[in-house]
Formats: sequence, structure tokens, C-alpha cells
Amino acid sequence: MEASKIITVPEQHSRRDFMMQTGAILGSAAIMSMVPMGTRAAAWAAGSDAPELKEVKVGFIPLTDCASLVIASVMKFDEKYGIKIVLSKEASWAGVRDKLSNGELHAAHVLYGLVYGVHLGIGGQKQDMSVLMTLNNNGQAITLSNQLKDKGVTTGAALKKLVDSEKRDYTFAQTFPTGTHAMWLYYWLASHGINPLSDVKTITVPPPQMVANMRIGNMDGFCVGEPWNNRAIYDKVGFTATTTQDIWKDHPEKVLGCTAEFTHKYPNTARALIMAVLEASKYIDEMGNRRKVAEIIADKSYVNCPLEVIDQRLEGKYEDGLGKKWNDPNYMKFCNDGAVNFPYLSDGMWFLTQQKRWGLLKDDPDYLAVAKKINQIDLYKQAASQVKVAVPKDVMRTSKLMDGTVWDGRDPKKYAASFKVRA
Amino acid sequence: MKFRRYFGEQIFPPLIGIGLFLIVWMILAQGSEALPGPLKTWDSAVALFSDPFYQHGPNDQGIGWNILNSLGRVGVGFGLAALIGIPLGFIVGRVEFIDKMTSPIISMLRPVSPLAWLPIGLLVFKAANPAAIWVIFISSIWPMIINTAMGVRQLPQDYMNVARVLNLSEWKIFTKILFPAAMPYMLTGIRLAVGTAWLVIVAAEMLTGGVGIGFWVWDEWNNLNVEHIIIAIFVVGIVGLLLEMLLVRLAKRFSY
Repeated sequence: MEASKIITVPEQHSRRDFMMQTGAILGSAAIMSMVPMGTRAAAWAAGSDAPELKEVKVGFIPLTDCASLVIASVMKFDEKYGIKIVLSKEASWAGVRDKLSNGELHAAHVLYGLVYGVHLGIGGQKQDMSVLMTLNNNGQAITLSNQLKDKGVTTGAALKKLVDSEKRDYTFAQTFPTGTHAMWLYYWLASHGINPLSDVKTITVPPPQMVANMRIGNMDGFCVGEPWNNRAIYDKVGFTATTTQDIWKDHPEKVLGCTAEFTHKYPNTARALIMAVLEASKYIDEMGNRRKVAEIIADKSYVNCPLEVIDQRLEGKYEDGLGKKWNDPNYMKFCNDGAVNFPYLSDGMWFLTQQKRWGLLKDDPDYLAVAKKINQIDLYKQAASQVKVAVPKDVMRTSKLMDGTVWDGRDPKKYAASFKVRA
Repeated sequence: MKFRRYFGEQIFPPLIGIGLFLIVWMILAQGSEALPGPLKTWDSAVALFSDPFYQHGPNDQGIGWNILNSLGRVGVGFGLAALIGIPLGFIVGRVEFIDKMTSPIISMLRPVSPLAWLPIGLLVFKAANPAAIWVIFISSIWPMIINTAMGVRQLPQDYMNVARVLNLSEWKIFTKILFPAAMPYMLTGIRLAVGTAWLVIVAAEMLTGGVGIGFWVWDEWNNLNVEHIIIAIFVVGIVGLLLEMLLVRLAKRFSY
């Protein structure tokens, strides 16, 4: 039914009337549903894939990892593929969710887990969603407060000791209940034996409030994207306890998300959007361009932040606020020859396993079916082949996380149930 | 001589007040690294207002545009509230049955925090901007209904008796008696409403985004740019004051 809306052939009506009159109602329905599908595939094969929309409204949250969308627009990669990306800065993840769902935004820079949550009706009104591509790997972090540092807590193990020995309310913050930061924070705490739901208090607040609360001693730690962790060091309120790449090397983070309705209605626009953002991603991953990228995205229109807070970590130069400096080989990556952008089914399923682990999902969903429905692998493959970005052979990948567990997407139900610390 | 008295009574006290305020602010700013002092804020304000109407794409526009956009939303929401609230106030004040019928609902909904209405607006209108206008509408309608109704209710019974003796039509009663008599109350309601509306728009825009002084504050907070937040506080305060003064002017012209 969705598909039949896409191409309206004028003769359809008369033909339908005719068929109805001859009484072949069943037959007509079957033909109707097949015709547009066939036309669509043929159109793509013939290369007449002009985007249905000229302007695509794309939302973003002012964070370093919105870079590929900003670059696609500023460097005019979008025009190369016949679309114009109109960027819209959003106030919060909840705002992004609402505007995607009511159609004010066509697509958005959004947390991986949020898209999956909305698709299953947790953390938002249930609505079928799509992930067009992954925007970046790595580049988030967990910051702990300077008050904890003064107590000698600089690692997860030391934090566990303090939580056990000194009873009080410990407050940790993340950015959205089903989002990626919540999952990294929970995973990190749980790996050190701290139950994020019962041993400490975890709350959802916007990043500036995290920093403000940490300054007045109301916040022990938070997990958020850059530039906020570097900002906490710059503002002398906290230090980086771990980067998220140390929790899961090359973990999936933000995605280009939209509703399933958008993908079905405007597949050519979606493909053009992927192509434009893929080119921007390639551009950003040329390390020589990173400085320029930092300058562009630090602008008031985008991240709106002092350049010196953004550029260091974007270029892989880390310091933790405790005096340690290092060049991180697993800095925030945007393309990595396509390894970043491919919407691996195993990546999407991982978020479902964690949402199950933490009780956000009451029952095991059909992990594979959900991931297959959300992650638009075919669309992505078409786009990637056009802009010559490598596509991995397997739709699953194998990752080893900080606690040594291996996730390969094979038995999600067992994996979700395997964790000792859980809701 | 006359000027000196005017100065002593009208100009001098506010000046002292502002001066004291600035001194307290300076002292507070001295003691804290995060809070900028008046001078630093002034410099930022001069820079900001030197070009209030620039446009660098949809995500970066001058402060002037932001204020105008917010005023536009307030205007629409407030206008709709007046259009519905004032006639409703007359009916509620005039017909006792309707008064009794609506009073539990009004008393229950009136104290609800304006922002609690935002999710409902988003659900119903499926768009951020109408939702923000809806919040303005719903938070500014109550003072108008209640005050207008009160104005109608306090009308001396004698007036109505006279009207009955003269056998005036309901329309005549409305235009010649009810409306003029209720006018001062109505205007108080409008003044209260415009104050609330302006108060609420900043909060609503913080949540919905888009161009407007509220989201501007949010964005500056994202940047932890405290000077700009302080400037925004003054801007919101001054615009609110101007709106109120405008309505007082209007009220004076209408009071018989």
C-alpha cells in the first residue's frame, strides 16, 4: 500500500474501475501492488533516480559528530546529488524525535538507540523508523567530577570502591534513556560492578546542565559526546575517566535517521542524502582537512563553541584532565573507508540487547527482523557503490568490548541474558 | 524649580535603584569566575546590538530577528486568546448557569504550569511552532476570562434595573452598559495575560527550537556564554516592560 503512493499512474483509476466492473477484485489488488514496485526497481536500474525532493530538512544537535552533515551542506556535496540540505539546529533529542515523527524534519543526526527505541515504542510514540547510515564511530567519553578526583577516584575500579564504602546518592547523567550515551555509561559502570539502576542514580539532562551541575557539586559523572567532555576539562569541573572507544573500539554512535515513511516515499532523496553525507565523511577523514572542519563546525550556526574546545579531540589529540596526554588511534571516525557508515545489523541489534538488559524492553524482540527492517542496507549499498565507498561483505561484524565479551550478532537473546549486572 | 522637583521625585530614586543593582552585581561577579560583571556584559551587548538584523542561514540570525519572531508568536497566541477569552468572559459573567458549569474546569486548568501543555500541543498540531503558540494561548486565556467575568459580575444591579425599565435590547445592554463597565477589569486581564505570554514564550522556545529569543538563550547556554544569557535576561525584561507600558497607555485611553 505504501508503495502504491509513490508513483501515481493516471490510467490506474480507469483500469481499476474496469477490473472492478469485471469482478476481478482480488486480481486487481494483486496487480496494483505489484506495478509500482516493478516500476520503481526498473526506474533505479535505468538510472532515472532524480531525488523526489529538492530540499531536505535535516536536524542536528550541536555536537562534534554532526560534522558530516554540516560539511555536506557547507561544502555543497549535497548539490552534486541534486538536493539541498537545510540544516536545523534542535534543542534536545526529544525535540529531534518529535520533529522526525511529525514530519517537520525529513532526517536527522540522531542517537542510534533512540531510533530503535521509537521503532519499538520505548522512549517515544511507536513509529516505524529507518537508519540510512551510521554517521560516526567513537569520540564520546565519560567525565567524572573533580570532587571525585579529590577523593582519589580516577578509574572505574576506584569508583566502585567509593560507592561501596561511602554511602550517599551518586548521580550520573546521560542524554536520552534509550540513547547511546546511556548505554555506554551503563555498560562502563556495570563492567566495574556498579549497577547503574540500583547502586547509583542515573538521570537524563541536557549537556550544559550536566556541566553546570557538576560545577556546583551536584553531579558525579556523565556520558556525553564531544565537545562536552573536553569542555568539562577546559572549564575545570571534571576529567575524562574513559573514552567510549575504550569501552568498545569503533563503536557505532550517531546515525542518519528518518521515519520509514520517508524512506518509502522518497527513496531517491534518501539515497542522494546518503551519497552527499558519504562524500562529506570521506572529506572529514582526510586528517589534513580536520582543522578546517573544526573551524567550520565551531561556528555559531552549528556547534557554537570555542574552536580550541573542539579541534584537539577531533584531530585525535587527547588529554584527560589528570595530566595524561596521548594520540588516540581510535579517534572519532566518520568514514574509515566505509567501515563506519555501513549500517551493520549487528550494531543495531546490540542496542536492542542492551535495552533488554536494562529493562527498557520487557521481552526479547525479534532482534534480527527489527534490525533488518530499520537498517536500510540496500539503499546504503546503492549509494555507496555510486560514490565508491567500500561495502563490507557481511551484514554482521565481530566486536570485543571492554569486559572481554564478544558480540557478533549471532545469538542476541543469549547475549542479552548473559550479563551478570542487569536490571 | 519644577524640574528639580521632578528630578528628585521621578528620576532620582530609579537611578539610585539601578546604581545599587549594578554595585551588587559587580560584587557578586568579583567573587565568582563564572559570572561576568556589568562592564564585560555591556561590551558584549554593544557588539551584539551593533548588528541586530544579520542573517547567516536559518541557524544563526541577529538578536533582532529572534526578538521579532518571539513577539510574532506571542502576538498570534495572545490575539487568539483575547478573541476567545474575552467573549467567553462576558458570557461566563452574564449567565450564572454557564458560570457554574465552567468554573470547576477553569479553576482546575488555570494553575497548570504552561509548559505542561506543550506535549499536548505537539501531539495535536504535529508541529513545533503551532505548539508554542498553543502554549501562549492556553496560558494567557485564563486571566482574560476570569477578569472579564469579574468585571461583568461586579456591575451594580441598579444599572441592570435601569436597563430593564428602559426595555433595552441585549445588544444595547452589552454596548452601553456591560462593555464600558467591564473595560477596566478586562484591561487588567489583558495586561496580566500579556505578561504571562511573554514569560512563557522563552520557556516554550527553549524546548521547541527555531528562531526566537528563547532558543537563542538555549543555544547560548549550550555554548555556556553567560554574558549573552544575562543580556537576554535584560532583553526579555525590557521587552516585557514595553509591552506592559503599551497596554497601560491603551488602558488609560479607554477608561472613562
